[in-house]
Amino acid sequence: MKVAQNSYMFSMIVFELQDIVGREYVSTRAADKETYSIDFFWIPEMWHDRQSTWDLTRPMADVIVHPADADEVSKVLKIANNYKIPVTVWGGGSGSQGGALPVFGGIILDTKRMDKIYEIDQNSMTVEVGTGIIMQNLEWELESLGLSTMHDPGSARCATVGGFIAHRGTGVLSNKYGKLEDMIVNMEVVTPTGEIIRTLPVPKTACGPDLNQIFIGSEGTLGVVTKVTLTVHRLPEVRQFRAFIFPDLGTGLQVGQKLMTEHLQPAVIRLYNEEETHELIRKVLGIEKHGAYMVICFDGKKKMVELQMNYAREIAGEASGEDLGEEPGEVWWKNRYKFFFPPYMYQLPQCFGTLDTVATYSRIEGIYLAMKQVVNTKYPEARFIGHFSHWFHWGCMLYARFIIDHPPEDPNEVLFLHNNIWNDAMRAAMDAGGVLNEHHGIGLKLSRLTPELYGQAFEIIRTLKKSLDPNGIMNPGKLGLGL
Amino acid sequence: MTLISKEHQNTIEACRYCPMCRHSCPSEFIRYRESDTPRGRAILLYNVYESGMEFEPSTIESMYNCFLCGACKSWCAGYELGGYDIPALVRHARQDIVSQGKAPAIVERIRNGLMENDNPENLDKNGAYTAGVEEHAAEVLLLLGPGIDYHYHEIAQDVERISRKIDVSYTFLQREPDSGKILDLLGYPDEAKDKAQSLADRIKRSGCRTVVVCDPMVYDALRSDYKNWGVSLDDIEVMHLTEFLVYHIRQGNLKLQTANQKVTLLDSEFLGRYQGIYEAPREIIKNSAGVDFVEMQWHGEYMLSSGEAAFTFDDDLFSEGGVLGEKILCHAAKVEAEILITLSATAKRHLRGNTDIEILDIAEFVALRMIE
Repeated sequence: MKVAQNSYMFSMIVFELQDIVGREYVSTRAADKETYSIDFFWIPEMWHDRQSTWDLTRPMADVIVHPADADEVSKVLKIANNYKIPVTVWGGGSGSQGGALPVFGGIILDTKRMDKIYEIDQNSMTVEVGTGIIMQNLEWELESLGLSTMHDPGSARCATVGGFIAHRGTGVLSNKYGKLEDMIVNMEVVTPTGEIIRTLPVPKTACGPDLNQIFIGSEGTLGVVTKVTLTVHRLPEVRQFRAFIFPDLGTGLQVGQKLMTEHLQPAVIRLYNEEETHELIRKVLGIEKHGAYMVICFDGKKKMVELQMNYAREIAGEASGEDLGEEPGEVWWKNRYKFFFPPYMYQLPQCFGTLDTVATYSRIEGIYLAMKQVVNTKYPEARFIGHFSHWFHWGCMLYARFIIDHPPEDPNEVLFLHNNIWNDAMRAAMDAGGVLNEHHGIGLKLSRLTPELYGQAFEIIRTLKKSLDPNGIMNPGKLGLGL
Repeated sequence: MTLISKEHQNTIEACRYCPMCRHSCPSEFIRYRESDTPRGRAILLYNVYESGMEFEPSTIESMYNCFLCGACKSWCAGYELGGYDIPALVRHARQDIVSQGKAPAIVERIRNGLMENDNPENLDKNGAYTAGVEEHAAEVLLLLGPGIDYHYHEIAQDVERISRKIDVSYTFLQREPDSGKILDLLGYPDEAKDKAQSLADRIKRSGCRTVVVCDPMVYDALRSDYKNWGVSLDDIEVMHLTEFLVYHIRQGNLKLQTANQKVTLLDSEFLGRYQGIYEAPREIIKNSAGVDFVEMQWHGEYMLSSGEAAFTFDDDLFSEGGVLGEKILCHAAKVEAEILITLSATAKRHLRGNTDIEILDIAEFVALRMIE
């Protein structure tokens, strides 16, 4: 905000915000400004970590508000427009791309008060919720009725439904049930200028452009999604797992492609490259194997699942896959969240990042090799590991990672190193036909590369932004959209 | 400022950027603030202990907003290996805050109430249940804890009725002294030890062989803290009320009537997470033949917090117990419970919302059901 925090004008604006949401739901406390200035992006974490030895500051919000509903969100945005105050939306703050960071100060709009479950329609198999609900809390509620959205990401316990909409999140069961964006029926959205709109009641129509698609993936730059109706499914009768080792990654990719294109509908295919097979699987699952490790899962009616699994085993056998049986797959499933907790998760002082991309089957292995080559060649201090975790009929997603165990101490030096790795790896991906990201989003981390990704088409996004957000208040600095 | 231990440093470094237990923290869902999460507290304490910043007022508030319930530990998949302990870290921070003279005014008020009148609200001791008791030599000493002693005399009466029924010689301590537990949790370890020693001396002077404790926090103090503080109770056995009741049920001294009602239980943070007592209350309830005992979705180590150690919030007395109570009642309603049994006076107080479910302390339940 362009007013000093000890000025009466600042207090006047804070008063206006308190008048909308209530005094107890507006904060200018130092502790909140601190804790809302770090999400799950490595750069602010590293910056915070090194503040004890370097003279560093982090951009912080001026004020944090917690609106209860779309009406209050609308009024907050109108004030923000009035005074041209940046607004950054914050759900669980667990995004890895810096999308929720208030990099130009202003207002943090925390959505978590909007956490009601409005209706579970077991006839239409939908649920309507406030987007501030923690995903896992929604899932537990649905499970008590024998239902599930089947959106099962590692961040379910800390991320909000709105966050997944914002960055097009996905979960481990996406092969069969889709990404979160595929589960959206309709949404309530507050536009940057404060209008409250509802998209059409159903997503598949012949009524012109799909308004949902304007806001899905917009990462808080085009408005605030306040309610959403999602599809739900009955919990499956069974869920069966099996693990295989293939001689090499290429073989594993071919098997995955076949499982998808034969329409066997696997709920999970997770294929690890040789390095990750060795490193992570050994560390976390206690299994020592060489090759490319794959876990597959089918769920649904017992007889169908058995049939599907038998076909899958045939396909794997034809590709010289070593059948490791059910147990390793079940162990993987049981421990699938464990990887996100310390001490299993990578931690500072390590420098690390998830270089995810997605491409067609014809291109994905080439992209993987290109990314691996550029990281291994230009950055010998970094390890490169990867797995393929979200599969489509046309291609699959690469979840690659780089890890540097002993990065430079100088925060600027390591920021440059970090960003250079991202630039080189993602440009290698784009050159080979990939994209910047598959499900973590763009945020701040990849904002600078977004115009490059889209080329001329980026003007469409820019025009849309100018039209919906004429004062440029919504999440500035993200998604390539600047100030 | 005290130096920070390796364990606390470990907790800070592990938790500061990890949001994975966010869903479990009851204090976050009072005002929905990041500073009221385990991650938020670890970030703030990194600022203090690693970056050399001062404890400023909102950081202090955040430390005293923590309920110390331990839910974050229960939900941490890394806890077994890493031993990350946010409640212990917060308690350490509170001690530092107090020793720097920065305790919030409300915390000082609670401390003064405990020091002057042995209860956190500084209520007149003449209003205590134990104000009018006559101490006498007895095998069993019943320790009520301030919640029952000052607010739930009917529970105290039920504890007495049960004791008479099982024909146990019992006594109370007149104007029951404070155990030191709350003082310790608030960051006053020296005062806590003084109070603990005074209570221990009076317990020993009573001549009892067994202390039966009704309050989960007092029980936790006597079982764990006193040893660490070098306060001895000699050979006096310390039991929680539920352990005492289970013993007598098994001995055949206490029989419970058929109830034919759906009953559920709200576990206690200090009995359960801190002392591992989950089965004793369940055995008591199930012993009431015909009782349809149902578990709420969140029970055992994944229990919902009732705010047993939530004394203050945002620099004032904690007044949002109803928010916690509502959540719990919702879950009790989902399992169609007709009776919800609590294990602490605090839990009972926080469940006073608008509900058809009967809220009974375990002692009340047993007193109602026991066959005379």
